[in-house]
Amino acid sequence: MTLRRGPLVLLSPAFGVFAVCFVLPAAYFFVVSFWQVRSYRLVKETTAENYLRVFTDYSGPLLDTLVLAFIVATTVTGFAFFYVYLCRFKAGRFAPLLLFAAMLTLFGGYLTKIYMWRTILGDSGILNASLITAGLIEEPISVFLFNPVAVVITLGHYLVPFAILPLYGVMHAIRDDPLEAARDLGASRWHVFRHIVLPQCRTGIVAAFTLTFLFTSGDFATARLVGGPDASLFGVFVQGQFTQRLNQPMGAAMAFTMLACCLVVVSAVALGVRRAVAYR
Amino acid sequence: MRRLDAIALVWWVAGTAAVFFMLAPLVALFVFSFSAGSVLTLPVTGWSVRWYRELAATPEFWIALKNSLVVCVAVGFASTTVGTMAAMAMARLPARRAGALISVFSLPVMLPPLVLALSMLTFFVGTGLGLGLPTVILGHLVYTLPFVVLIVYARMAAFDPAIIDSARDLGASPWRTFATVVLPVARPTIIGAALVAMALSLDDFVIALFTIGGGNTLPTFMWGMLRKGVNPGINVVGVVLVTLILVASLLALRVTRYRG
Repeated sequence: MTLRRGPLVLLSPAFGVFAVCFVLPAAYFFVVSFWQVRSYRLVKETTAENYLRVFTDYSGPLLDTLVLAFIVATTVTGFAFFYVYLCRFKAGRFAPLLLFAAMLTLFGGYLTKIYMWRTILGDSGILNASLITAGLIEEPISVFLFNPVAVVITLGHYLVPFAILPLYGVMHAIRDDPLEAARDLGASRWHVFRHIVLPQCRTGIVAAFTLTFLFTSGDFATARLVGGPDASLFGVFVQGQFTQRLNQPMGAAMAFTMLACCLVVVSAVALGVRRAVAYR
Repeated sequence: MRRLDAIALVWWVAGTAAVFFMLAPLVALFVFSFSAGSVLTLPVTGWSVRWYRELAATPEFWIALKNSLVVCVAVGFASTTVGTMAAMAMARLPARRAGALISVFSLPVMLPPLVLALSMLTFFVGTGLGLGLPTVILGHLVYTLPFVVLIVYARMAAFDPAIIDSARDLGASPWRTFATVVLPVARPTIIGAALVAMALSLDDFVIALFTIGGGNTLPTFMWGMLRKGVNPGINVVGVVLVTLILVASLLALRVTRYRG
């Protein structure tokens, strides 16, 4: 009898934490997204007005953010794929060292990295100073910082190790014998890559893309610190509803709209990847 | 043969560039924290520990450090206890059901941290529970739990449950069975999971920013400094933070003998 009761008793604290810290707050947040704020007070009337306003007032930033998140997620997934491919098939005995370097940056501090990119890309930053020393430019140029490219570089740098993890998982599991057999039977390097290696990486590619896409679409700190006016991510506006405009229902509606859009994009990409690199 | 050499060279250069891209900012962080000047640029004009001294003389830094450590230790302890219990139960379930449970527990990590943090902020304020270090701990608990469950479950799934059953049949209490049968085998994994949870807690900025109410942890303290502009003192906070996180995660890699 204790055996039957055992699992539930052991699982109950985890379920409790999950319910109190995640399910209840998320459900409450969803309910709040249909409320209103009038003269700084919550009015508990259920209307869909907030959601309509997301589309009329914030569809521009929302679309910009989804595009930027797509660029970041694609770039990071591509870079991580290259890096893991290098570790798995090309680096030989240097592979553990390369992986160790990637894992070092995994816990390297989120804000710290944003700050370092700010000092590297800034007017008096390391990049400008190096270019002047090298004689390539005379005056510091301020094209590096406060634009969407800076956001892609900074977020990309932060997210690469997170994309490496799932890709390494799948590529590590690829066995060598089928690859060698295919080569022996006359398949070109490209064919081996396209029809044996790539199909086995599908879940890893989708996981890396999903992880980086969701993180970027909800980011606000990078946009605030290195983004500048042209890179006002949706997350900045969401955060603003809580810290400046004090309109929690609006912010909640924006957050849920963003999540819904992300879900659509991620599902579409997952489907596309599955189709594009299917086994034949 | 010559063509192969060229390809190998391209891979070498690309690999080195990739490692440089990933590590350069962290190296620059440590190097510049010892710069004497107040502008971070090359060439560095002189070296000193001036910024370390200044930070050590800032009381707010010590308060933020203390808060970060309190949260991190509490989260490490709570998350590991709750996560290990769950993982032990899940090791008894069919693999598919355990996998489904892991997916459910991972939902908070899949969401953008901003959404998780704001929903907790709205909930804790709306229900009158208020904000503070306890709510930061709760936030980190739900955020770190999936990692602990995953790490410990992977170890427990390889553990023969018959050994636990025989200990129970021979009259050992559940706690004694855990302490004398399970723990000796799973201890490195459990310590490793605790350290991963602590590293994640130390690094978290978004959840802490929105659920702390007043006061600071190290990352939110750094955020405050960042919004006032660039100042080499920020490097030192970064160095302290990164060192703490790296020590925790390197220890975790070592005790769990993680090999990918």
